[in-house]
Amino acid sequence: MSESRASALQLGRPSRQPAVHPENLSLDASCFSSPPVNFLQELPSYRSIARRRTTVHSRDKQSGTLLKSTDSYSSQLEDRIAENLSSQSLRNYALNISEKRRLRDIQETQMKYLSEWDQWKRYSSKSWKRFLEKAREMTTHLELWREDIRSIEGKFGTGIQSYFSFLRFLVLLNLVIFLIIFMLVLLPILLTKYKITNSSFVLIPFKDTDIQCTVYPVSSSGLIYFYSYIIDLLSGTGFLEETSLFYGHYTIDGVKFQNFTYDLPLAYLISTIAYLALSLLWIVKADLEEERIRQKIAERTSEETIRIYSLRLFLNCIVLAVLGACFYAIYVATVFSQEHMKKEIDKMVFGENLLILYLPSIVITLANFITPMIFAKIIRYEDYSPGFEIRLTILRLLVTYCSSWKLIQCWGQQEFAIPDNVLGIVYGQTICWIGAFFSPLLPAIATLKFIIIFYVKEWSLLYTCRPSPRPFRASNSNFFFLLVLLIGLCLAIIPLTISISRIPSSKACGPFTNFNTTWEVIPKTVSTFPSSLQSFIHGVTSEAFAVPFFMIICLIMFYFIALAGAHKRVVIQLREQLSLESRDKRYLIQKLTEAQRDTRN
Amino acid sequence: MGQCLRYQMHWEDLEEYQALTFLTRNEILCIHDTFLKLCPPGKYYKEATLTMDQVSSLPALRVNPFRDRICRVFSHKGVFSFEDVLGMASVFSEQACPSLKIEYAFRIYDFNENGFIDEEDLQRIILRLLNSDDMSEDLLMDLTNHVLSESDLDNDNMLSFSEFEHAMAKSPDFMNSFRIHFWGC
Repeated sequence: MSESRASALQLGRPSRQPAVHPENLSLDASCFSSPPVNFLQELPSYRSIARRRTTVHSRDKQSGTLLKSTDSYSSQLEDRIAENLSSQSLRNYALNISEKRRLRDIQETQMKYLSEWDQWKRYSSKSWKRFLEKAREMTTHLELWREDIRSIEGKFGTGIQSYFSFLRFLVLLNLVIFLIIFMLVLLPILLTKYKITNSSFVLIPFKDTDIQCTVYPVSSSGLIYFYSYIIDLLSGTGFLEETSLFYGHYTIDGVKFQNFTYDLPLAYLISTIAYLALSLLWIVKADLEEERIRQKIAERTSEETIRIYSLRLFLNCIVLAVLGACFYAIYVATVFSQEHMKKEIDKMVFGENLLILYLPSIVITLANFITPMIFAKIIRYEDYSPGFEIRLTILRLLVTYCSSWKLIQCWGQQEFAIPDNVLGIVYGQTICWIGAFFSPLLPAIATLKFIIIFYVKEWSLLYTCRPSPRPFRASNSNFFFLLVLLIGLCLAIIPLTISISRIPSSKACGPFTNFNTTWEVIPKTVSTFPSSLQSFIHGVTSEAFAVPFFMIICLIMFYFIALAGAHKRVVIQLREQLSLESRDKRYLIQKLTEAQRDTRN
Repeated sequence: MGQCLRYQMHWEDLEEYQALTFLTRNEILCIHDTFLKLCPPGKYYKEATLTMDQVSSLPALRVNPFRDRICRVFSHKGVFSFEDVLGMASVFSEQACPSLKIEYAFRIYDFNENGFIDEEDLQRIILRLLNSDDMSEDLLMDLTNHVLSESDLDNDNMLSFSEFEHAMAKSPDFMNSFRIHFWGC
């Protein structure tokens, strides 16, 4: 026992085990301090791993530097060649360039001993790889804003960079959504407008609906003041209501091509479903690519834990109270505004009219301004880790931002406020998803808006913000941003589903005047299919199919959960075995060291 | 601040460097320019060397808490040749493969160069990362034990290369954060 202590002390490594009395010596390996590292470096397992890493370490005991011993190097080099004629690229080796050059020369001389066929195969695989690399290099150059984002990453860290990558993702998403809508809806309209094809227009039904429902109040034409023209342009009313910006413009019922008639109402609905599905798939795919970070909560003593958790509970109650107050204020303001709008317009003063009209918006904006400040103060007391802090702030603000949005600029020497900025753009994107059904050009507007936001934020970041003093950059929050975006998408799908399937479509304008609800287009189209396909579709959507299908999915899910549990148990067992083996190894090395010392003495 | 003889890099050399490293053409040329500005006057770039101090004061490395270790690992006999600098940039480039990065990360973090990352190394890493020399002993021990409990599979209070590799493979941030952009252009 004392010898092991002495050897540990010689190495300068303090023995961390408690004092061991000779009486209660046991063979528990925790009594043994770590064995001398030299021994560990001689073990075959260490050597084979070192060889696999293709480096050569040889320990110079005096100076303690890493030297390359050329003798063992050349033998290792030859070993490596044997494994190495199997196509691993030279770049992956952890050697410096001159060594790689030698390795390549040796490889090429070795190649001569191969048959013609093998040589040709190797040459063609190399050229193919080189071609793929060039292609990959080309495509990365096409990546939007590559240099801007990289320079931001270099100067401000990956936390802020992930915000800008998120913006870029949204720009691309909106662009693709706009392309879908363009292909399916706008292109036929353009073809009709320029008389390339004929189309039939929507007939407004007279029998089933009242006359009032079929009339859409057109804004007064004739002499309008210039300022009202500007206001119309900015708020989307007036003359803009009749352009292709809005749903009402799409009155074409069918576009006649040579062989078939293109059903525009159906295409309109399909494009909506398509862009929602595409957004869902793209976000989930990006989520899966971002692997999840498992956060371990730092260990705390039990009384500290109680203190922290009760403090957090109290503060969370305050947060809920603030949120409740916001909602109530918004509700009261909206109700008040609605009721007073019914007052006659001449009786009101000009300013009062505007104030009442915009009262809900004013309250919302005030709430959105005040609540982030309150939440920022509160979170300081809650003592979370930086990454978690950001996420919790985002979630809290998400609830506040249900009805409005805000861009917070970075003035002066502030730090870049990630949660507010991310929520702002997620809010904007949610509105875009909901609004794209009613205004097909909205994704294009959103794309432009995000491009402008990117440049504005980038310039304000570079010229007014300073890098965060916290040395740990918040870990890559891209996964979390995508999660919040996914929540936004789910929130957007709810009102859309309700308005498509429940709310009767407008009988005065738009492509769905002939149908009760927008969704009716689909059953009507299905009824025009051949009867075998019809019965197949009816079968698939019936309960007789859905319930067993659901049960099977549940069974599969339970199977995977059980499998994961079993794997986890195996992993725990293997870890225990590993640590037992390590104890045995240390014990044996100890014995060996003692035996060597005995023979020396 | 002299300048090396302004030899244009030969096309064959450029092709060779592209084949042997993960750097693109532009990156190699940028590093070549930066190297030429720093190296002593009157020397061919392939023969010139930079000191570790010169490389440590490159803008890319100046604020890095591990710059001394990086320079130690990538230099040969205490100096940097042009190819050493290229090798370093290649490992830290975006296109480098994970196994190469893990290999060099292990070498960089192994402060006492005994082939293992032990508690002493971990403590020095933590102190460097948090940029503070005064930290309570308890907190330091806590953090070290936390890291070891996560990654030390065989309970020998050290991280061998396999354990380190396994721990880095579990961490998705590693590939993204083990990157340095060396060129200033």
